[in-house]
Amino acid sequence: MARACRVGCHALDPGLVAITSMKDWRKYVLAFAITAAIFGTAFYIVGRLDASRIAEIRAAQDALSIDLLSSETQFELLGNLNCSMIAEHPVLTDELNTLAEQLSFTESKVGSDSADVISLKKQYSLLEIKDYLLMQQISQKCGTKPVSILYFYSNAGDCADCSRAGDVLTYLRQTYPDLRVYSFDYNLNLSALQTLISLNKVKDTLPALVISNKPPVYGFKSLNDMQTLIPELKLMASSTSATSTGGTSAK
Amino acid sequence: MDIGTLGVYVCLFAALYFEVFLLISFFENRPALKTSALPKRFPTVSIVVPSFNEERTLAQTIRSLMALDYPKEKLNVIIVDDGSTDNTRNIADALAAEHSQVEYLYKENGGKYTALNLGIQASHAELVGCLDADSFTSPDALIEVVKRFEEDPSVMAIMPAMKVYRPKSMLERMQAVEYTFGVFYKKMFDNLAALNVLPGPFSLYKREVFEKIGPFHHAHNTEDMEIAFRMHANGLKIVNAHTATVYTTVPKTVRALLRQRTRWSQGFLENSRDYKYMYFNPRYGNFGLLVLPFGLFAFFAGLYSAFYALYTLTSLVLTHVLDMQATKIPLNLAMPRLDWFYVDGGMMLVTTLIVLCFTLTAIALGNHIAQNKLGALSFLSYFALFGFIAPIWLARAAWGAMRSTPASWR
Repeated sequence: MARACRVGCHALDPGLVAITSMKDWRKYVLAFAITAAIFGTAFYIVGRLDASRIAEIRAAQDALSIDLLSSETQFELLGNLNCSMIAEHPVLTDELNTLAEQLSFTESKVGSDSADVISLKKQYSLLEIKDYLLMQQISQKCGTKPVSILYFYSNAGDCADCSRAGDVLTYLRQTYPDLRVYSFDYNLNLSALQTLISLNKVKDTLPALVISNKPPVYGFKSLNDMQTLIPELKLMASSTSATSTGGTSAK
Repeated sequence: MDIGTLGVYVCLFAALYFEVFLLISFFENRPALKTSALPKRFPTVSIVVPSFNEERTLAQTIRSLMALDYPKEKLNVIIVDDGSTDNTRNIADALAAEHSQVEYLYKENGGKYTALNLGIQASHAELVGCLDADSFTSPDALIEVVKRFEEDPSVMAIMPAMKVYRPKSMLERMQAVEYTFGVFYKKMFDNLAALNVLPGPFSLYKREVFEKIGPFHHAHNTEDMEIAFRMHANGLKIVNAHTATVYTTVPKTVRALLRQRTRWSQGFLENSRDYKYMYFNPRYGNFGLLVLPFGLFAFFAGLYSAFYALYTLTSLVLTHVLDMQATKIPLNLAMPRLDWFYVDGGMMLVTTLIVLCFTLTAIALGNHIAQNKLGALSFLSYFALFGFIAPIWLARAAWGAMRSTPASWR
């Protein structure tokens, strides 16, 4: 018995004993059921929100896929007869960048092991490769020299510097709209991507960068390092203000 | 999901459960509105006013008691000066000379509970109340309390509805919202027969309470909480008279507020330790099954959530700073984009918002019960300050209880 209890704490007046009634027990159970239902509803709403994000990305990717196919067809139709006209139209960088940011955000919310996210990343990687190849062809036929970066990352927990490398590339992409950055999950099980990795002889020492078809560069590179590695940046027009959010799906 | 996040979800679930439980209680038994009916009988009442250096507010406190709508011959006021070193004595003497109902007693300083006990000893009334010398009653407060005693003869003690006296600063407004929330949950605790405190401002007891369970104890400087625990332990009924309004002045500085709340919180922990046998014990009804365990859980959940938020925020800022140093990316102060896609509607945010909505509902109901008028500035003050200040007093109370260091009054 507690020292503070002066008078028979355990010998209560039967008339005053506050034994919890059956009605109270029902209330305890009802409150639990309502709370669980509210949590369940919240869980459902959050799930629906994630699903609608994924649906939006999928729709954007479908639209982009059509745009790319259109550009490819347009290129084949025109050949190298009218480079100025081609140069005006095939640039899909903005759409790809927007997709990259949305995909990165969704991945951070839903998780990188989600089947939906993996499927979207595969589709996105294919679009990137197609855009990259198209730019290569345009470059060869029209004699342009676009600066491109193939960025390989891993979010399997084996690349501590990938997050920072992603930040630097996001910043560069936002600052220099003409810079074409393609980011790829090195571990993504996609045969086209694995072929790209083999062709560029990229080892699994990540992060890895392939800048304008040069041999791969490994390890984290700061903004200053990147400016040294890509002297063309000095000649590129920069946007007046970089937007704040987004990543390269590299985190 | 990491273990830290899981802990926050457990806290949110428990907080929501508690709020849902109280709301069910509210809809089961809605508080009645005030009526103009008078009690059939006016019992004799003594109000003990323990005072220690209360020269600023004592006169106003006594005047509010003198203004009570109650037969003068049935009411007397006993000012017990607990060894004040300021001008309290002269003011109390003057008040006693001015009003025949006012009696003045002086004693060496021994703590509030000793002053209350002396006042109780000196009184011969059927009902004995206490009123802190920094609080003021509304004129009909005593009649409302007496009516409540009359409605249910088994009631042994009654606590009023407390409001903050003229809140001006943000800190006072924050406390005004807290007290309004308190009006709601005290009324719901009343519905559950589980009131956990008989606060200093105008709680009234039947004389036999002290005959049955003895006088006030030191009780870790929270004698008003301990006596409620002891009454539950002895099966004595406590209720809330929500129509009886008492106004109290609240700490005006953060330092004073922290000291007061540390004392309350540490007192709760230490009284909980003394009365641990009541926890989860159905013999003590909802008091043992709900109010005590949830009070303790809320204490540690508050601390845990605050530390978790602090840890998460610090990690985030630190990582960002280190990233900026490593990447050399300049600081970007652009506004985040307004696109629904990037609205962070995670489970944590949604459940936190739900708990906040329920809290707001409880405050609104408290506002309605107390016929209060809280403005937007009060809510703003509450949400801006409470989350930052409360964890400090919780941490101090936990530290004090661990070290068994007595929490100071002033």
